[in-house]
Amino acid sequence: MEFISPELDYAALAPMIVVGVAAIISVLVEAFAPRSVRRFLQLVLVFTTLIGALVLVVLNSGMRVLTGGQSIALDGPAWIMQGTILILAILGGLLMAEGGVDPSGDAFAPRASALPGSEDERQFTIRGYLQTEVWPFLLFAVLGMMLFVASNDLLMMFIALEVMSLPLYLLAGMARRRRLLSQEAALKYFLLGAFSSAFFLFGAALIYGYSGSIAFGPISFAITTKAGENTLLLIGIAMLLVGLFFKIGAVPFHQWTPDVYQGAPTPVTGMMAATVKVAAFGALMRLLYVAFGGVRWDWEILLWIVAILSMLVGSIIAISQSDIKRMLAYSSIAQAGFILVGVVAASPQGLASVLFYLIAYGFTTIGAFAVISLVRNASGEATSIRDWAGLGKKSPLIAAIFSVFMLSLAGIPLTGGFIGKWGVFAAGVAAGDAWLVIVAVIASVIAAFFYVRVIVLMYFADPTPDTAAVVIPSGFTTVSLAAGATLTIALGIVPQPILDIIANAGVFIR
Amino acid sequence: MTEAVSDFNLGETIVFWVCGGLAVLGALGMIISRKAVHSALFIALTMINLAILYVANAAPFLGMVQVIVYTGAVMMLFLFVLMVVGVDSSDSLVETIKGQRFAGLLLGIGLGLLLTVGIGSALTTSGDIGLTAANDAAGGNVQGLAQLMFDDYVVAFQATAALLITAAVGAMVLAHRERWTPRKSQPELSEERFRDGGHPGNRPSPGVYARHNAVDTPALLPDGSTSLDSVPGPLRARDDVRDVDPADVDEIRELTKGVDS
Repeated sequence: MEFISPELDYAALAPMIVVGVAAIISVLVEAFAPRSVRRFLQLVLVFTTLIGALVLVVLNSGMRVLTGGQSIALDGPAWIMQGTILILAILGGLLMAEGGVDPSGDAFAPRASALPGSEDERQFTIRGYLQTEVWPFLLFAVLGMMLFVASNDLLMMFIALEVMSLPLYLLAGMARRRRLLSQEAALKYFLLGAFSSAFFLFGAALIYGYSGSIAFGPISFAITTKAGENTLLLIGIAMLLVGLFFKIGAVPFHQWTPDVYQGAPTPVTGMMAATVKVAAFGALMRLLYVAFGGVRWDWEILLWIVAILSMLVGSIIAISQSDIKRMLAYSSIAQAGFILVGVVAASPQGLASVLFYLIAYGFTTIGAFAVISLVRNASGEATSIRDWAGLGKKSPLIAAIFSVFMLSLAGIPLTGGFIGKWGVFAAGVAAGDAWLVIVAVIASVIAAFFYVRVIVLMYFADPTPDTAAVVIPSGFTTVSLAAGATLTIALGIVPQPILDIIANAGVFIR
Repeated sequence: MTEAVSDFNLGETIVFWVCGGLAVLGALGMIISRKAVHSALFIALTMINLAILYVANAAPFLGMVQVIVYTGAVMMLFLFVLMVVGVDSSDSLVETIKGQRFAGLLLGIGLGLLLTVGIGSALTTSGDIGLTAANDAAGGNVQGLAQLMFDDYVVAFQATAALLITAAVGAMVLAHRERWTPRKSQPELSEERFRDGGHPGNRPSPGVYARHNAVDTPALLPDGSTSLDSVPGPLRARDDVRDVDPADVDEIRELTKGVDS
């Protein structure tokens, strides 16, 4: 049998190829460049790559192609999500590049292999070593996410999921301060992530057993032609959803979120919280709409339950948190629930509203974690909420910016979060999920309580001797923070350009 | 019995029940056994049985790869690591959250039952295409795999490279110890060794006594006492040094009484 070499649409794959090749070059830089210039080379490489890939995505955004057999779909939503991931990765990368906030270096351990508290670690810190391997990890994670939102095949999706997750597990364990907490977070994330991947694989196998294929097109075809005998299909969908719910941090697969958000280096938490949400929701929607659109009535109930649980559990537990990073982790669980309301709608309107929500949420989250990385005391970041009391009087600007982010997360008008929530809830009502939207509104009110509580604490409490100080960052964090704050407000006041872009993108192709 | 099941011949049925049973036993043994080495061996058993099942299911390539890569390379490397690092059985098995183990067991059994019943009932109703037909479509098992890997899934195949690179770099980052002092030269090392009156030359070899020939048996000094120097350091640290029975010493003294020393 003669082999016909595959036809790949290299133009459409170009953004991913650029990121992938750059990641490999970045590893080579680690191997061959002298230590003194590594950081500089990596920064130039990473930001050139991400911006270059973003330009390519914008140039490509008119394309609607299936390539790589049927395994990759580059359509309107895919371009929007890839673009969003790249922009958020640039902002997250800027946070990771910050070297002026911690007196002893950047946010990462000087050598992740040194035992916490050992003489080795002390010496590496004194000598100013930097673990520049974080940059190839960032690029590989971005590659995985870009592939994840474009996967049109269960195998492709699984590999993309792993390419995305593996670097994140590593990055989570590399915090400079509180090393043990960071390592524990990484291990937890890795083990639970491996479990969820196993569920995903099991689900993929069952779907193959049902439909005889793992590509979304043939699966969807099998669903329309094989009515009645869908036990395997339903178990398979449930298993696949476990894997994806884990990534978006939905209840009851949310247990890793608070620990990982707290333990990971703050810039990584910000980057991860924003980009992984986009990637995982992108993949979830493509899977549900393109492959399993025919059994919408069967998975809808599952999403209802998970959405309600996520919104309520996330919002209620967040109230009792005393650590700001853990609070934002539970907030992200609740936000995942809100976004699921738009996913359940399963309509073009729902898809558009989820895309907008993800964009608004991403910028707000990165900005919020940028602020957290600046509010410090002698032992590092002051993540205890009590230490934020009276911050509004000590550092009015930073407190004001953080308040904007909190208001956006709470969904108060004139912020991106409001437009996002509005869109998602409107799509829910239009799809006939009024009861779900009512629960979502109640959960929003509960959630608003703890967001506003931080603002009240910052402005209406008097500074105590424990109140943290705000460190003046270098240009990296400043740019990222300014971009996050500007876009959060801009999306709330003039959302129309972004809404137009999303509307022009259309729906997933099959 | 539906038509799909009756296609199996007797030999295949026997292979399935024997290997399937052993695979399940291996999997159970892996989670139940307390020693890491035993767990590793059990999982090797499971993998070999799965490989036989793959071969029986007309997937010889997958079966061979399973044996060579997983059982042969990965599991044996894993065993080496376990033996070199010397993980002992004292891993903490204390429940940190009360009732967690029971709840986990209950939910696990529940999920297992649900899946078994669900998949079992689904399999009795679904038809099959047949293994020969599936393999012949591309002119053979290996050819079929190659076709998929280098045509439809070539991007996925390339993407796994990213996975391997990340894993390799990650392992280096987490495990590679870098030096912050210059490496010591041979003269410096030797000087350091003898300055504090270290032992010159070889250490005494472990005791033999014509009955034990193990490295954990200390050598006897001329006065009948034992020399701990003769036992390797790790054994001493673990308190694994074998006691010397005074009766043995006396016996040997009796035996060698006439011999000139």
